[in-house]
Amino acid sequence: MSGEREIRKVLIANRGVPAVRVTHTARDKNIKTVAIYSTPDRLAYHVLSADEAIHVGEAPPHDSYLNMEKIVKAALESGCQAIHPGWGFLAENANFAEMVEDAGLIWIGPPPQVIRLMGDKIRAKKIAQKANVPTIPGLLNVNTHEDIVKWMAEEDVAFPILIKAAAGGGGKGMVKVESREEIPIALEKARSEAKKSFGDDTLLVEKFIEHGRHIEVQILGDKFGHIVHLYERECTIQRRNQKILEEAPSPSLDEDLRNEICFTAVRLARELGYYSAGTVEFLLDPKTKKFYFLEVNTRLQVEHGVTELITGLDIVSLMFDIAQDKKLPFSQEDIYPNRHAIEVRINAEDPRTFNPSFGTITRLEIPHGPGIRIASGIYEGADVPPYYDSLIMLLMTTGSDRREAIRVMDRALTRGLRVEGIKTIQPLLLSIIRHSEFVAGNFSTKFIEEHYNELISTFRERTTDDEVLKIARYVAEISALGPQSWM
Amino acid sequence: MSYVFVKPGMSPKEIVQRVRDLPGVAFVSVGMRDAGQSDYKNRHRIYDLKTLAPFYNEMGLFSAECHGGARWHVGIMNRRESPFEEINLLRELMPKVLLQTLIRETNMWGYRPYPKNIIEYVVERVDIDVWRCFSFLNDIRNMKTVAEVVMRRGRLFEPAISYTVAPWFDTKYYMKVVDDIVSLCGGVDEIILCIKDMAGVGTVQSVSELIDAIKQKYPGLVVNYHRHITDGLAIPVLVAAAKAGAKILDVQEDTLCRFYGHAPILAVEAILREEGIPVNLNRKLAELAVEKVRDWIRDYEWAESPFKGFDHMVTRHKMPGGAFPSSFEQAEKGGFLHLMPAILQVMSLYNQIVKYFDVTPGSQITWVTSSGIVNRYYKEYGESGVQRVINLLRKFVEDKRQDFDGMEPEEREELLQLFRQAPGDFKNLILGHYGKLPVGWPSEWVYKSAFGEAWEEKIRERKETSALENVPDEDLEALRKQLEEELGRSATEEEFILFLMHPKDAIDFIKFREKYGLAPLVLPTKVWREGLSKPGDKVEFELDGKPYSIELVSIGSETEGIIHVVLKVNNKTRVFEVATPRAKKVEAKRAVKPNEIGAPISGTVWRIGNPKRGGLKPGDIVHKGEEIANLESMKMENPILAPFDAQIVEIAVRLNQMVEEGQLLFVLKPLQ
Repeated sequence: MSGEREIRKVLIANRGVPAVRVTHTARDKNIKTVAIYSTPDRLAYHVLSADEAIHVGEAPPHDSYLNMEKIVKAALESGCQAIHPGWGFLAENANFAEMVEDAGLIWIGPPPQVIRLMGDKIRAKKIAQKANVPTIPGLLNVNTHEDIVKWMAEEDVAFPILIKAAAGGGGKGMVKVESREEIPIALEKARSEAKKSFGDDTLLVEKFIEHGRHIEVQILGDKFGHIVHLYERECTIQRRNQKILEEAPSPSLDEDLRNEICFTAVRLARELGYYSAGTVEFLLDPKTKKFYFLEVNTRLQVEHGVTELITGLDIVSLMFDIAQDKKLPFSQEDIYPNRHAIEVRINAEDPRTFNPSFGTITRLEIPHGPGIRIASGIYEGADVPPYYDSLIMLLMTTGSDRREAIRVMDRALTRGLRVEGIKTIQPLLLSIIRHSEFVAGNFSTKFIEEHYNELISTFRERTTDDEVLKIARYVAEISALGPQSWM
Repeated sequence: MSYVFVKPGMSPKEIVQRVRDLPGVAFVSVGMRDAGQSDYKNRHRIYDLKTLAPFYNEMGLFSAECHGGARWHVGIMNRRESPFEEINLLRELMPKVLLQTLIRETNMWGYRPYPKNIIEYVVERVDIDVWRCFSFLNDIRNMKTVAEVVMRRGRLFEPAISYTVAPWFDTKYYMKVVDDIVSLCGGVDEIILCIKDMAGVGTVQSVSELIDAIKQKYPGLVVNYHRHITDGLAIPVLVAAAKAGAKILDVQEDTLCRFYGHAPILAVEAILREEGIPVNLNRKLAELAVEKVRDWIRDYEWAESPFKGFDHMVTRHKMPGGAFPSSFEQAEKGGFLHLMPAILQVMSLYNQIVKYFDVTPGSQITWVTSSGIVNRYYKEYGESGVQRVINLLRKFVEDKRQDFDGMEPEEREELLQLFRQAPGDFKNLILGHYGKLPVGWPSEWVYKSAFGEAWEEKIRERKETSALENVPDEDLEALRKQLEEELGRSATEEEFILFLMHPKDAIDFIKFREKYGLAPLVLPTKVWREGLSKPGDKVEFELDGKPYSIELVSIGSETEGIIHVVLKVNNKTRVFEVATPRAKKVEAKRAVKPNEIGAPISGTVWRIGNPKRGGLKPGDIVHKGEEIANLESMKMENPILAPFDAQIVEIAVRLNQMVEEGQLLFVLKPLQ
């Protein structure tokens, strides 16, 4: 390996949970880290965790975490050899990846041209079809609502359908349409969100698979054409098209289907000339057991941790190695999952309405004990600003089987995790993992909608810790204000 | 040997028989209810009262009065304790003791006549063993529903006659009331009769005569004499009652005794023993209970009546012990404590004009009416005016023996104005809404005074029926819905019953408890009332079987209406922001009406209007389904659509403003 490809210092072009995650592995690999931050993130956890930190702009993302020139400049000026984008923000921005490489820096991720190709949902779908990967019936370029009506008539497609941003991902710019009347507003909403989130308002439309399950395959390739998969993850539990609970292995697959999906993913990755870490997403129709290609995420996924837990590998570490032109140190047959892992996303949101909740985290207690892994983007006293993603922490648990992993998650959610000052979806997550259908493995991407009232009704009414705080609040008020007239 | 002779779960018949079989008398302890009501404004908290329960459990009491009266209302309003919580606690701590309530027939534990279906619903669901029930009019018809439900449940019904001493309430009158009671309850074997001498005015002679008459006519009827001590003569009268045949007497811990409550338990036991009347009481345990009260009674000095000392004048004004402290509290709050002597004089004259019993809700009607008259005269004419109205009433009642025509014309005019501004409850009372008055309706001039020209019409409307027949049933499901809307969640059965009794106060109570949890049940009284004062002061308690501690670290100084209080909660430091009454309240306006459009989520208003038509301003016309604004929250867009064709009246937000869920965005006027 040439000295030029050695990374001694890396700039992490992200914030919150992903930035802290990358910092951890960098530290393990004795690589110095440079964080970037916007003005409201001055005292954020990712800033405090890094070796250095550089201010890149004001609160709005386009001014800071999406400010490509400033970020590259910061990397160069601070003497970094590489940039890791984490997930979100610039992670799937081919222009940025190119800009990084053009500046003589190492881009810790897949080749920019693959990012660009896969970022275009229409071309991605065409390539998938070429590689014999099954795809969902759809219309690849939508301009007007008449296009949709015409396509539906020609292909005999029934509602519901899904309008998606061609450049999209993460549920943004994605609108489900149930009837013809909704098409114009839905199209406008998807277009506007697409423009705002990805700077590109090209849209496509697809048939919506009812009760579909969301299965994805982790792939990993080096620059020498060696590609392996790290098995699949089940990401079916979603709210508003965004995942909130993932697990591996998937309870939806049998061994044959598992092998088929995983090798289909590897086939596609080969076709693409992929390297670094990536994910091939599929939608599984539980009725027909058919699966369809959805998209390739050309980056580290939020939920990569469950794969790390079942395989014992550090994907971020391997991304660093691959970026430094190292060969994968193992082959497919060396990898076998030997336990079950679940991840839940602790989002700063109202558990009933999913409305974002921001403010100061006045108290944070983190679960521990056997089988628990935490990836946090916050600390006690930290502010959760309103400008960014609501994810504040990932909580993962493992067990020798699914049942055990669920039990450990139950312990973590009820006997360990405590976030005060802001609302989180913790109560909802607990209701989900305790729901009999979830435990039985019977669920679809609509699980939360379908069981919403049931899930809400089982929110725990009271905990002793909360009760004591109510009493303490009373003592505080009376101590400060003295006897009250109502007494 | 055990003194416990009656227990929860026994049938009424068995309980009555056991009392009859006692060689002497048994006691009701009112330490957990009427003692607190009479001298401490019902502020005794269950936190302290429950310390007596282990003694009561073995003492051999007939029952413990621990429920009802104003304790229910003051519980939710001031102590923030629910009567249901109290029952549960006491059941656990003194399972061998009959729990007793005091219920005001159709007025139950509130201050208005409730409809029959509410009475049934509530009485069916409250776990009480002995139901002492009184009517302030001695209108026994009003007790019917309570009696039926209690007896059907196999609980003991204890009808009470409201008792006072006045020329028109003689033994013959009371015997008629007893006849009504015996006939309502189908005999004397499943009830206990209470003589409720609520002001404490019965004399040795009058009480002996009444009990003697009752025992002669109904030898099997068990009599319970309840007497306040305001006149200073309680003990001899209690002894006389026992000698005349009363089997049960009401007493309280000596250490709780002040001036308006009941006789001291140890003293009464001692004198009865000396008189040769055995008392079913474990005196040793009673002494310990008396001693126990000293642990906490000084924490209630603030709640004691400001009008201290016995008052034999009670035999004139007849204000009941239970109403004394609350009346003084109101006078103090209203700033007319100095008018109290005058008000008591007016009361003593008033209750000769309109004759009933000064016990809830009658005592409140008397109080509000009489204090209203005195206050009105004081405001208009000063001290001399107050004296004038007293002189006027005294002349009318005492000199002229209520001969209206015997008064001078201008005095008649003045009397005709006396009740013009009387409270609605007074007017309802004389129109028969509560039931029939005990010795007939007041004279015509009272109606003229209260209603002016409409007096004859009002007399025609006057009801002769029982309050039970006068109040139509209410829609319980609608009431429950109303409560649940107010709470924003489903209500428990107990919350619903609290709401049925006192709608507004129940909601305040429930919201208080949602915010402060079990604070009223676990905090010692000093901390409950004053908090922690010095750094290092702490309060310790158990919750759900685990120990907890709250320790004061510091109280900050006030800045812009906020005080920061630092506490250690189980050794972990926590900072609480406490808003003082001076805190600025910045609350965003919320959309509440159908024509007001609120934010569906919290976020930023990044667009007002839509790309097609551009921005919007007040006066613009928008069409149903048209996007009128868009909120962004964590990168998701949320279009706000016009719900109907409308004209924009107001745009309540600015572009790029952060809004909270429910915050008002637009006010629209629907187009016809």
